[in-house]
Amino acid sequence: MASLRDIKKNISSVKSIKQITYAMKMVAAARIKRAQNSILSARPFALKMESLIDDLYHELGEEDLSGTVVSQLFEERPAGGTLCLMLVTADKGLCGSFNTNLLKAATAWLKENRGRKVCVVAVGRKGRDFLHRLKGLDLEIAHEMVGIFPKAGYVHAQLLSDAILKLYRERPIESVTFIYNEFKSMMTQNIVRGQLLPLKRSIQNDEQAPQLTSGLFSFEPGKAALLGELIPRNIGAQLYRMLLESQAAELAARMNAMESASKNATELIDGLTLKMNKTRQAMITTELNEIVSGSEALSN
Amino acid sequence: MEKNHLLLTIVTPEKTVISEKPVESVTIPAFGGEMGVLPGHASFVVQLVEGILHYKDGHHKEVFAVLNGFAEIHKDKVMVLAESAELSKEVDEERARQAYQKAKEILVLRPADLDLDEAGAALRRAAVRMKVAEFRRKHKPQ
Repeated sequence: MASLRDIKKNISSVKSIKQITYAMKMVAAARIKRAQNSILSARPFALKMESLIDDLYHELGEEDLSGTVVSQLFEERPAGGTLCLMLVTADKGLCGSFNTNLLKAATAWLKENRGRKVCVVAVGRKGRDFLHRLKGLDLEIAHEMVGIFPKAGYVHAQLLSDAILKLYRERPIESVTFIYNEFKSMMTQNIVRGQLLPLKRSIQNDEQAPQLTSGLFSFEPGKAALLGELIPRNIGAQLYRMLLESQAAELAARMNAMESASKNATELIDGLTLKMNKTRQAMITTELNEIVSGSEALSN
Repeated sequence: MEKNHLLLTIVTPEKTVISEKPVESVTIPAFGGEMGVLPGHASFVVQLVEGILHYKDGHHKEVFAVLNGFAEIHKDKVMVLAESAELSKEVDEERARQAYQKAKEILVLRPADLDLDEAGAALRRAAVRMKVAEFRRKHKPQ
């Protein structure tokens, strides 16, 4: 049976752990507000960007597009090339199943594409470290971005999009897939997997939009050049949203994890305190017993 | 309010700076030079360069430093999508000057890992901020 002193030590260590987890929870709670706000304020930009591209598309004929830099981004590439994965994880642990689920999803993706050449763009330390540890795969970390959370800005998204577009231009990459955690609510995060490149022509096929605007707009510089500038920016805006979502989701996950950790610590402390008191009483009883039986032995 | 006005919207990825504000005229730092926009302007899509954007609303005049982006003018609506837009009041002249100096030094020293585009862009950004600050100083006393 543990001695009184051991239990006391145990209690004090659990208490200090609880203090830390509680502090982490409070920090995450304070930051999540800001993270949510930045998601909200990034939304109008993305929407306007979409509508501008939409307008531009209706102005743009197929012949304007062909042969430009942008058209490369739309073309389907021959199957069998390198695959590219963009994995957005957290930099730090202690956020519940946030990273674990992401890494599981990444592993599943890698399994699906077993035997293919894969290059990875890793955002966040956890994902990078995980991919470094993987052996026996034809895998290369082409670009990494570490230490941007919890202060991810548009600059980071831009650097990221530049890196991805450069990769896409220079190598025979078939497609770019992204995996990240979406901030659904305070309690839940959703893993989202989708394709970043080649771009889908969904906007162009949307024919029900009025064609009235056609021919109305003037452009400076030319349409194709404008689109060539706009599309990378749009990718940047998309990536920015992903980074923000992931950031908010990480904070929410950490808040929940730390809250339950604090709760568990409290329970643990209660149990240990009870145990300590019981031990103490048992000791007193034993001592009394000894004294009484000793004096009785003397008087007889 | 007059009938003839433009609705100006400026958004950046980080925040919405101005949303559908009625103004009399806007001057945009366009790709091929400054461009003034008045009500009734033709529909136009234009790329922006680093520069000064100002709008006039009666006697009130406001100046922004904008960096890289696009503007769409359609049906008396001006929509500016900029990577960054700073109100002239928010520009820190001292910091801009320091950044300008630093960017210049980098361009002169040419370290091994120099990114020429990046350094040039930094220099232009700082120059724009300084210009805005100067503009503000000139127009303050009135």
